[in-house]
Amino acid sequence: MMLETTFPFGFEASTTFYLVLYVLTWVLHVAFMGYVLAGSFYVAWATVFPGKSLPPRSEQPICELLREWIPFMLSGAITAGVAPLLFVQIIYRQEFYTANLLLGWRWLMVIPVLIVAFYLLYLLKSRAVATWSLAARGITVAGVAGSFLFVAFCWTTNHLLGINRDGWANSYETGTVVAAALPLVLRLLTWVAGVFPVMCLIVAWQLAGRDSMSSSSDTPVSPPARALARMAIGGLLVAVISGTAYATQLPDSVRQHLLGAAGQAWLYAVGAGVVLQVFGWVHMLRQREFCHRTLSVISVASLVTLTGTASLREIVRVSQVDLLSIVQNCRSAADVGGFALFVVCLVLNILLVGVCLLLTRTGLRRQ
Amino acid sequence: MNNIYPVNDYGPLMPGLVMAAVAIFHVFLAQFAVGGGFLLCYFQWLAMTDRNPNARIFIHGYFKILVLISFVLGALTGVGIWFTSIQISAVTIGEMVFNFHWIWAAEWTFFCLEVVAGYCFYRYHDRLTDKACMVLLVLYTFAAWMSLFWINGILSWQLTPGDWVQTGSIVDGFFNPSFWPSLFFRTVVCLTLASLAGCVVVNIIPDLDRDAQTSLINRSAHLMIPMLLMPLLGVWFLFAMPEDSRQWVLGGSPAMMLFFMISVGASVAIGGYAVVGLWMQRLYINGATGTLLILLAFGATAGGEFVREGSRKPYSIRQVVYSNGIRPQDVAELRKTGCVTDDPFPVTFEKTLPNDIVTTGAKVFRRQCAVCHTVEGSNAVVHLTESWDIDQQRMNIAKLQQTKPFMPPFAGTPQELEALVQYVRWVQAGRPAEWLKTLDEQALQQITGWLDDAGTEPAQARRKSASAATREQK
Ligand code: HEC
Ligand code: HEM
Repeated sequence: MMLETTFPFGFEASTTFYLVLYVLTWVLHVAFMGYVLAGSFYVAWATVFPGKSLPPRSEQPICELLREWIPFMLSGAITAGVAPLLFVQIIYRQEFYTANLLLGWRWLMVIPVLIVAFYLLYLLKSRAVATWSLAARGITVAGVAGSFLFVAFCWTTNHLLGINRDGWANSYETGTVVAAALPLVLRLLTWVAGVFPVMCLIVAWQLAGRDSMSSSSDTPVSPPARALARMAIGGLLVAVISGTAYATQLPDSVRQHLLGAAGQAWLYAVGAGVVLQVFGWVHMLRQREFCHRTLSVISVASLVTLTGTASLREIVRVSQVDLLSIVQNCRSAADVGGFALFVVCLVLNILLVGVCLLLTRTGLRRQ
Repeated sequence: MNNIYPVNDYGPLMPGLVMAAVAIFHVFLAQFAVGGGFLLCYFQWLAMTDRNPNARIFIHGYFKILVLISFVLGALTGVGIWFTSIQISAVTIGEMVFNFHWIWAAEWTFFCLEVVAGYCFYRYHDRLTDKACMVLLVLYTFAAWMSLFWINGILSWQLTPGDWVQTGSIVDGFFNPSFWPSLFFRTVVCLTLASLAGCVVVNIIPDLDRDAQTSLINRSAHLMIPMLLMPLLGVWFLFAMPEDSRQWVLGGSPAMMLFFMISVGASVAIGGYAVVGLWMQRLYINGATGTLLILLAFGATAGGEFVREGSRKPYSIRQVVYSNGIRPQDVAELRKTGCVTDDPFPVTFEKTLPNDIVTTGAKVFRRQCAVCHTVEGSNAVVHLTESWDIDQQRMNIAKLQQTKPFMPPFAGTPQELEALVQYVRWVQAGRPAEWLKTLDEQALQQITGWLDDAGTEPAQARRKSASAATREQK
């Protein structure tokens, strides 16, 4: 029997192997994607509601940083997304392709929408935008955030369609791709809310790094720290509530796996990770400034939470698809050569990426 | 692994054309990105050795365009190709991913390097030392070219799997017969595209006088010199191609030949313009001409990609999968068990069909013909068979691979074939409310005979074994 011990163990080695690769690369995707999704929401909100203080929210550090970095993070999200995209096709070949095909042209829309969003992002970075009316700017930022929300919606719809084999024929006949709205909304809300703490954490590191680089001590650091902490805590709470609500919508058999041997450890891990993150952010609220030690603790907690969530997400899928075919897929994939090549390239390129980063630090011209 | 996937009807926009459009766009952008790396390294060297006073300005302008156009757009259209391929043939892309997932994973690591090196350069180059800039550019170029290297192995494998078919070894599959010609050819194309883009960029950099522009353009055009090798590489590639594919290109299929000629013609025009200009030391390309040359290059890329896609017929992966997603080794079995027996997906317009026979026919069409044909749109089976009587229709479909060698053998039962014929005839008759409710036993027997005559092998293999047999008789 499978799923009788902590996920992803208890399968054949090849299945475990590909599942681990999938989960880890997907977590990497979420880190970048979270920055883009939550970041664009924040920018939209800050632009439409600039607040009463000066400078307006959209010109304060968080927003400026986000506008500056979201385009790069988008290429990160795309690049990082390719890896789980590869493994999902190995493990869940039929489910993934069938869902893609059932979504049809709606699935193909993901690409043009992302392209439009990318160019809108560059537009937002340009100086010309500052002279626009609030309405025009509002529509642009809402367009960006809406595009990313649409993309997230497509991925979630695709995922749910893939695991609903019984609904495939009907979906093909009628063209309806959402079997039930409530689980979809709850699941999507979990991701949208859940990526806020991720974005806040990365932004906090970026701002903290910037503070420690700039020598002037008169930059107001406390407001961004507090704003980020509040946002992160809010996101965590909403995600936990909607995630739990989503779990109540699952079939009994699936929930049993989540609560049972396969998922229990991960549930505890996620719980502990969330609690630790909340503590960390509360600490930062009190301190009113970025402290590297607190940020490190939150980072570890966040990593645990994400890995745990990704594993629980996988248990939900694995317990609804044809397990034997998945084991078969992984078994035959493991017979294909080339893994050593991948490892060599991985090591080489990690080193070379290190060289790039080092160069940009040390190669700055002495002015 | 005989999964049946749902088939979407994209109407008159034949899936192949959609695929070609996305693919051409992506290949164009990606090759520009690769070549751009080489061009920038060259200009960085010119700048560092004081060979051209304006090289730095050029680098600045060029990289901005590279990032804006090809970075994210290139990556996204790459994912776009992937998604489109799934729409057209999930079996095909599934097979490619399955056999080469570690190659793709290796490519991905270079992707990451490309993004990081490119972004570091983009953000910091005006504050970095020359040496640091050069290292970043070299790393960027290396990563970009390596991604071409990896993907080229997989794409050329589709056309010429070579020894892989017997050995199943990833090395054989990757370094297949058309790997090297294809890699060199693509690299030359990359350099050409980057060079042409360079000519346009020079024209949009503000505050450069005519002399400065000319000197930059002449430098940029140096990357077109390798185009002189193109005829050689092209011939090498043609010789690496399987014989039947080569014949399609060289006249066997008028459409394929046309696209081939477009590709060659456009390349000659670009190469001629550049080489003659360089030769006379007076090359000046203004913005409009540069853009025109880029459009020509786009045409050449389009023609080339179309040929690459088309010349694989009847396969999507030679000797592994037919264009319609059916595997050669499954044809014999499907002739007995049927190709739509296990198809769980209903016909969406079933209510408009008169009975089960016609419905089965529609399913057979969807499974076996829809990748290349429409019912009534372009390359429509209804029109192609209009002038035939019913027995000709039956026979020509039963002997599909002989009717046109770039079609795969029919892979279903005689009943399914007759149902397909009835479906086509029902449409030809103007979709009447009533239609034949039983199959004609005698016709089925005749169809069985024709199917047996045609065999389950594709045309090329049949011709080969037939000529081998005659040779043996002699
Ligand atoms: C690999 C792609 C492909 C597949 C699959 C395919 N065809 Fe074709 N077929 C073609 C092409 C290309 C032509 C040439 C059209 C032309 O000459 O204009 C063609 C021509 C034809 C013709 C006309 C032949 C003639 O001599 O004029 C018929 C009839 C036909 N196909 C029927 C079918 C049927 C029925 C199926 C499914 C059982 C099928 N084809 C599957 C590519 C395909
Ligand atoms: C900024 C744009 C993007 C957003 C907001 C986004 C969002 C998401 C979300 C919310 C999920 C989880 C779906 C679920 O489990 O319900 C997901 C999964 C995934 N995403 Fe992204 N994504 C983006 C871009 C991309 C791109 C460009 C790629 C591909 C290169 C990609 C690859 C993946 C993969 C492979 C999965 C896992 C799918 C599965 O296992 O079913 N994403 N994404």
